[in-house]
Amino acid sequence: MIARSLTDKGRYWILILPALAIMLTFYIWPLVEIFGISFSEPRPGFDNYASMFDSRPIRTSFVITFRVAAITTIWCLVLGYIVSYAIYNTKPKYVGLMIALVLLPFWLSVLIRSFAWIVLLGRSGVVNDSLGAIGLIDKPLPLMHNEFGVILSMVHVMLPFAILPIMANMKGINPSYVDAARGLGASELRAFVSVYFPQTLPGVLSAALLVFVLSLGFYITPALLGGGRVLMISEYITYQIQELLNWGVGTSLSVALLLATAAVILAAGRFVNLRRTFLERG
Amino acid sequence: MMRQKTTFQLLMQTGAWVVLAFLLLPMLVVLPVSLTPNEYISLPSDGFSLKHYQNYFTDPEWLSATWTSIVIALSVAVIATVLGTAFSVGCWLLSDFWSTVARWVLIVPILVPPVVQALGFYRFWVKLGLIDSMTGVILAHTLLALPYVSIAVFAALANLDRRIVQAARSLGASVWRTVIAVIVPAARPGMIAGAVFAFIVSFDEIVGVLFITVRSVQTLPKMIWQGINESIDPTIAAVATVLTVVTILIMVAVTWRWKARP
Amino acid sequence: MSGDSFTFGQDDIEFKQDLGDITLERYKAGKIDRRSALAMLGALGLVPLLGDKALANAKELVLVNWGGKAKDVLQEIMGDTYAKEAGIKVVVDGAGPSAGKIRAMVESGAVVWDVCDSGPGSAIILGERGITQPIDYSIVDKANIIEPFTWEFGCANYFYSYTLCCNPTMLEAVPQNWADVWNVKDFPGKRTFRKSVRGMLEPAAMAMGAAPDEVYEFLGDEAGIKAAIQKYRDIREHVIVWPSGSMSQQLFLQEEVAIGCIWSTRAHLLKDEMPDGSFTTTFNEGVLSPGAWVVPKHNPAGTEQAMRFIAHSANPELQVKWLEAMGPGPANPAAAALVPEELKAWNPSSPENRATQTVYNDAWYAKNQIWAEELYVDALIN
Repeated sequence: MIARSLTDKGRYWILILPALAIMLTFYIWPLVEIFGISFSEPRPGFDNYASMFDSRPIRTSFVITFRVAAITTIWCLVLGYIVSYAIYNTKPKYVGLMIALVLLPFWLSVLIRSFAWIVLLGRSGVVNDSLGAIGLIDKPLPLMHNEFGVILSMVHVMLPFAILPIMANMKGINPSYVDAARGLGASELRAFVSVYFPQTLPGVLSAALLVFVLSLGFYITPALLGGGRVLMISEYITYQIQELLNWGVGTSLSVALLLATAAVILAAGRFVNLRRTFLERG
Repeated sequence: MMRQKTTFQLLMQTGAWVVLAFLLLPMLVVLPVSLTPNEYISLPSDGFSLKHYQNYFTDPEWLSATWTSIVIALSVAVIATVLGTAFSVGCWLLSDFWSTVARWVLIVPILVPPVVQALGFYRFWVKLGLIDSMTGVILAHTLLALPYVSIAVFAALANLDRRIVQAARSLGASVWRTVIAVIVPAARPGMIAGAVFAFIVSFDEIVGVLFITVRSVQTLPKMIWQGINESIDPTIAAVATVLTVVTILIMVAVTWRWKARP
Repeated sequence: MSGDSFTFGQDDIEFKQDLGDITLERYKAGKIDRRSALAMLGALGLVPLLGDKALANAKELVLVNWGGKAKDVLQEIMGDTYAKEAGIKVVVDGAGPSAGKIRAMVESGAVVWDVCDSGPGSAIILGERGITQPIDYSIVDKANIIEPFTWEFGCANYFYSYTLCCNPTMLEAVPQNWADVWNVKDFPGKRTFRKSVRGMLEPAAMAMGAAPDEVYEFLGDEAGIKAAIQKYRDIREHVIVWPSGSMSQQLFLQEEVAIGCIWSTRAHLLKDEMPDGSFTTTFNEGVLSPGAWVVPKHNPAGTEQAMRFIAHSANPELQVKWLEAMGPGPANPAAAALVPEELKAWNPSSPENRATQTVYNDAWYAKNQIWAEELYVDALIN
């Protein structure tokens, strides 16, 4: 029997292979084909990349993408840090509720949350109507169809992704260092800045990487709330493909976005524990 | 000993509640809007109406889309959990360089931008004749769910003592028997979490579906997407409210179950 | 999608799909009968079996258009009436007859389509490549189609237009022409323009004083195009773009915009949907664009049946019904007089409305679209 002749290692690989094989065949290979298309359509060569580098709107779109992702990341880190800190260090009464509130949006689709923001931020949306009704504004504020609206709702979507790694990190921090610093006469703020915060840095960096990488590829929220002028790369790609049937440029933009993402991850690998950020996410 | 809260702590705590309100409140706005008696998006000013719920629960298109999404998500949860569990168990047993490489390969879908992977699916699915078919969507979603299952199962196995496995093997149990009798029970919490994640990933997925389906497969997110693009009406708010409430109920149930057993 | 690698001469696929979407909405609103809707539901599971010759035969005429539901209007208004007249079964396929698909089908030798709803750009290119048949003008009477929208390999089937629409309740004064639209000082408020450049540079040219009939002269050189693009750069802070016809409608319905350049078929719907007095449209300085029938070579029902159907579809009464159902303007010059009084102002192809419009120039887009597209996006975001 074949099974007899297998070593244990071989048997372990039998468990691994089905999932690995469909991933390689139906996911990785199609990505490789995208790579191929970018060099072959409409004709073989580097034309698509050449025209991509020459194109001012594509450059601008990359700038917008990185800017929006960076601003989103910074807001998520600041807000996420406050929440995590409060949960682990201020002994609040309702820890369970707080954690549940962090997790809830995680479970709810991005589409529905974007819809909620459309309802809130529109020109005749809930916020504008309410502010108008109580007389605070006399004409609607431009809350949507601009970068403000996109970033606001992206922060909303990404915040849980920032909070979870920071929380996981804070959970493992021994409070005795801060206590010791306080015992030696450091002020609370000083103990936080020079003793506590450095210990949480790995969590913060993990969170930053995760949020930044996910933001780079974001499509739904910018497409719905950006009004076409906050043109992030993912939207640009669909525009090229669906509007212009321009697969060459669409795929070369995809490759560029993929490489940019990979570069960010690899560069971050020097400061961030990649295994913990991606492979061992709880 | 309870220490008095300092100003700094109070500030952080207040800040945290404000942030949590920012997380929660925008999602609640769909509730009042879903109850408006008007045909357009608005807060109910004179009276409430359940007609948008009635519309959701009687419209064949919304219902069949809901059903399609549930069927797809359940299939994905089952397939991804089986494949992902086998995968993680294998990797855990091996725990060598190549199994780590395999684990990195399996989480690639988390890192690749959704639009890029959707293009890949589209081109390949055209070749395979899978465009606009349930099979095509289930396959795509299974691939997107596998990372979550494998991560969750692997995390659950981190608590399993390798010596127990060695003991089972030295007592003469085969690899397969050990996997079924020893490892899978230990992986169960991870499998459950993984299956739930897989279900959610599939149930909420939109970008891939936009590329690989045309007309015959309509999922709930696609209906919502089309609704937002074509005619923003309060029915979407009703659907959103139903989904939010169901999500909260599931969360409460899960937390409660988790707490019930240590 | 390799069949679509014909990137030149792209007709406005999106517009066609948009007509399909409109029909769906009409059905939802109870304006199209249930039978058609059921037929559509039944067809949902059907896959257009390209390459299966058995599907089509001489007892059947297959019309092809763009989308699920404009399908039903075509079936009901043109198809069923022709079936009655000619004693042949008429089937409408909504598979979307892009130039690439027609070419692939003809080259594979398995043609299952008889008459396709295409556009003048594709009609010319497909004809030149020997993929479609010349229109037999001994059967199709040229007098039944507005001049000069007949070509060797295709003829106009209906018209739509890019028109100036406004919501007067959001404005102190209502813009009368594109120059007013670009005057953000006297006419404050958000404007919506198409995400793609198609149909958008003409209004900018007219805003700079080009008369409707000299628009493409104005856009004839780089300086003209750049000047038109610059106009968008000037007002971009006031612009929200519409990626789809339905979105343009949403932007008006949600009062996100006060002014817009949108398809006349969408304006046709908005006039009923918006509260009285909150929606106006004008064909003054509009950009008129025809659709076109084309007939693939070796079509299964034979040349004569296809030509007779095309002749039938030019029937003025039917053309008016088409306008009533979803807003496309009649291609038959005799139809304009039959349009009910209350719809006259909404007919993009009536002589009065044609007189004030420019005609969308496919040849110009075939030559300039790709780089104009890039400049346009750049103007809006950079």
